[in-house]
Formats: sequence, structure tokens, C-alpha cells
Amino acid sequence: MRIHVVDNGGQWTHREWRVLKYLGVDTKIVPNDTPSADLKGLGGLVLSGGAPRVGVDPGKMGRNGEYLDALDLPVLGICAGHQFMAKHFGGDAAPAEIPEFGKSVVTVEKPDVLFEGLPTTFEVWESHNDEVSVLPDRFVALASSPNCAIQAMRSLDRPLFGLQFHPEVEDTQFGTDIFRNFVRECERLQR
Amino acid sequence: MFDPTTFVEEQVASIRETVKGKAIIACSGGVDSTTAAVIASRALGDRLLAVYIDTGLMRKDETRDVDLTLKELKVNHTILDAADEYFAALKGVADPERKRIVIGNKFIELFEREAKGFGAEYLVQGTIAPDWIESGGQLRDRIKSHHNVAGLPPDMKLKLVEPLRDIYKDEVRKVARALGVRVAERQPFPGPAFAVRVLGEVTPERTAVVREACAIVEEEIEAAAKKGLMTLPWQYFAVLLPVRSVGVHGDVRVYGHTIAVRAVESVDGMSATYSRLPHEILDRISVRVTNEVKGVNRVVYDVSHKPPATIEWE
Repeated sequence: MRIHVVDNGGQWTHREWRVLKYLGVDTKIVPNDTPSADLKGLGGLVLSGGAPRVGVDPGKMGRNGEYLDALDLPVLGICAGHQFMAKHFGGDAAPAEIPEFGKSVVTVEKPDVLFEGLPTTFEVWESHNDEVSVLPDRFVALASSPNCAIQAMRSLDRPLFGLQFHPEVEDTQFGTDIFRNFVRECERLQR
Repeated sequence: MFDPTTFVEEQVASIRETVKGKAIIACSGGVDSTTAAVIASRALGDRLLAVYIDTGLMRKDETRDVDLTLKELKVNHTILDAADEYFAALKGVADPERKRIVIGNKFIELFEREAKGFGAEYLVQGTIAPDWIESGGQLRDRIKSHHNVAGLPPDMKLKLVEPLRDIYKDEVRKVARALGVRVAERQPFPGPAFAVRVLGEVTPERTAVVREACAIVEEEIEAAAKKGLMTLPWQYFAVLLPVRSVGVHGDVRVYGHTIAVRAVESVDGMSATYSRLPHEILDRISVRVTNEVKGVNRVVYDVSHKPPATIEWE
């Protein structure tokens, strides 16, 4: 299984690469201005988090939009990647009323393949100033935390997933399981 | 998963391929640089010279320990005493980023001098993933300038070789164990050493205060862990704050310094939680620091996670 990580300048981009590598995935970190043609034939894509504020400097998100439009791949957007996905499909991202840094608790509101085998609530690690404020059409919210209503979302039409929290961080509980579920979904869809 | 034996084989081959002629390695005696030194030494033998610089900012007995470790590992090495040069360069510098850059530049100045003497064109460093990640660049924000990445001058002549660039501390320890490196389990210690644990200007006097306090924190926590009262945290140390506060010593008012105690749990240094130290251990540390370290009348315990804080204060 080949899944690349698109680098949006996150502190934990390289951690995403490490978790995928540990799961036996053939993975590589690529800059976010990589032409989408170079990413054809992959099994999936992770859009990393990063310092860019999706609402303020969309230019810094490079070709993330092109990947979502031109590539018919399962995509996991994390933090800024998740916010970008929401905005790209007609939703919105805005400064959070109470930004979350470090420890938080997530509650799964709607069972999904991404959270298969996980308890309903678990501890996660956060680091964000903005959040998804408006869900795009044909997307559903999957999980929430006390200070952020949309901790996870997915498209009803395509295998596109967004997470506000960081499953790649050691301190997030069941983070590797979430990645494993995503990888399995990529494998299932490639068959 | 991660296989340390394969990793070592790959890196030894890669260094042999890259380095034509001689190389020096910047070695602080910590897990990363010592592991990198052993790997580079396997690849290059006596074409490698490990250089340890005593910056005057190191822990108690550190220089002697490092000398011993490198001898045990049969790594060709030299030790430079540069304490005066470092304190002179840091005079009047209080900004944390400025400190890190001054120290990084000074390291390279000395390494270039040593490399010239040894006839080396390459500089091997024990840079690990968090060093370049946190140093930022392009899209990635700079959290702090790691001396071995952001502290390198743009016109540096030495060619860099960084075998540990893609791995984290837990993986470095696996490699170190596989290589039989005694310092494999040693807690992380920052490259700029006590310069980033003396908040504000770094002077020999303030460095001495934090060195004493840090030694007490290490002694008490290690003794408690040995007795089974707690498990050893991932990292534990003291920080001298630029804050003074009022106290009373023998019925007399004092206006003294503050020491912050920091202990964290982590795997890779990229996220961390503060350690739940037993109160009796904090109590022992507090009494000893306020009694044994001159000028300190207050001790506080840091209960921040990373993020939002970082592990070190600067």
C-alpha cells in the first residue's frame, strides 16, 4: 500500500510518515506544491497540519485543492488539512472561540470505519487556533470535544476524512488504530 | 517497525559512500551524538575525529564522563575547553533565539578550526528529527533554533552528514542499545546546555546556580526511582527563572532567585505530559535547593504539557 503525506508545514508531519511506516505502508513526505500527476496511482493521501491559517493564507496550502479535485483517492486531512477540506467543499474554517492546545477528550458521535474498534470517548492531543465552523454539504460530523464541535468529519460520497485532533501524536490514545483503519479503508477501496 | 541493526548497516554504508577523506563529529556525549559517533567511527575508523567542546555550560562532571565514554567506545576524540569564549559571546544576550544562534555559530567556528587542523571536509552531527522540525523553514514555523540546524552559518564550508536525521529519541535509543553505547538511557540534554536553562542573561554565576539545582533534581529523582518510589521520567531538570521574590532567612528579609523544576514523560520529544512526581520527592528537592543553592529562596513545579509549552523553557 502506497500512501503519501502532503507536507503543509506541520510539527507532526514527519510523525504521520513514521506511523504509516510502522504500519508497513510504503510512504513518503511530499511538498504541497507537488503536481497532482505525480501522485497518481497511490492508494491514499494524508494532508498534514501546519502553521498556515486556512482562512487567512490559503495560498500556503499549495495544491491541496487540486489533490482533492483531480485525484480519486481516499484522503485523510489532519488539522489544517481537515480545515482546508471543509473550506474547499463549501464549508468554512474560522478562529476557534476556545482554541485547544495539548490534551482534550473526543467523543465519537457517529460510528465510522475510521473509529472502528475504538471506545466512544478517548484522550487526544490538539494544537489549533482555527476550527471547522461550517460543515460542507454532503459531509457529516463524526466526533466532538467540549470546546470544538467538529473534531472529525467525512464525506457521504467519497472516502474523504477530516480530523481536527492529531492521531499521529504519541499522547493521542488509539492514534495508530485510527491510521490502521484508514490504511485498511485504502486497501479495501483499491481492490 | 524499526530495525536498529538494519539501520546501522544502511547508515554505515551511506557514510562510506558520502565521505571521501576525513570527517569530524560534533559530540556532546549525549545519546544522539554518541550514537552518531559510533556509527561514523564504524564507517570511517581513524578518518574520524570526535570533537567535544566544554562550553562551560555543561552539567557537573560531564566533561570527564564524556571523555570516559568515548574512550570506552574507542572513538578517536579530542576535548576543547572553550568556556571563556562562550561566556564572552553570550555577554548581554538575553533573548532565547539570539542565545541559540550565538552558540550555534560559536560551535561551527570551533569545529571549522578543528576540521582544518585534522584535514577534514565533513562535519557529522547527531541531528535527529525534532531538531530540524522545530527549527522550521519554508512552510514550517520556527519553534526554536536548534544550534545544529538553525545555528549553522549560511557560508559554512564543512559538508554536513546527519545519519540520525529521520529518527526520534526512542529510535536512537534502540540503535544505541544495539551498538552497546552505555549512555543509551541517558536523559536528553539540550545542545546549548545551561544557556537555555538560565532565563535571561547567561553568566558564569547564574550558570553555577542552575548547575547546582539541576544536580539536586537529578540526584533526588534518580534516588527515588532506584528505591522504587517512582519511575524515572523521560527528562527532569531545573531552570533558573529571571524572577525574584521575597523570602525570610533567619528572621531577615531576602529577595532571592526562583528555580522551576521540570519533569516530563514523552516518547519522541514531540509531545509530552508533565510527570506526576510524588509530593515527598518534590518536598525533598524544594528543601535541598532552597538550603544548598545560594541565592535561591523559592522552588516551583512546572505542570505544563507540550503543547502548549515546550519541554525546555527556551
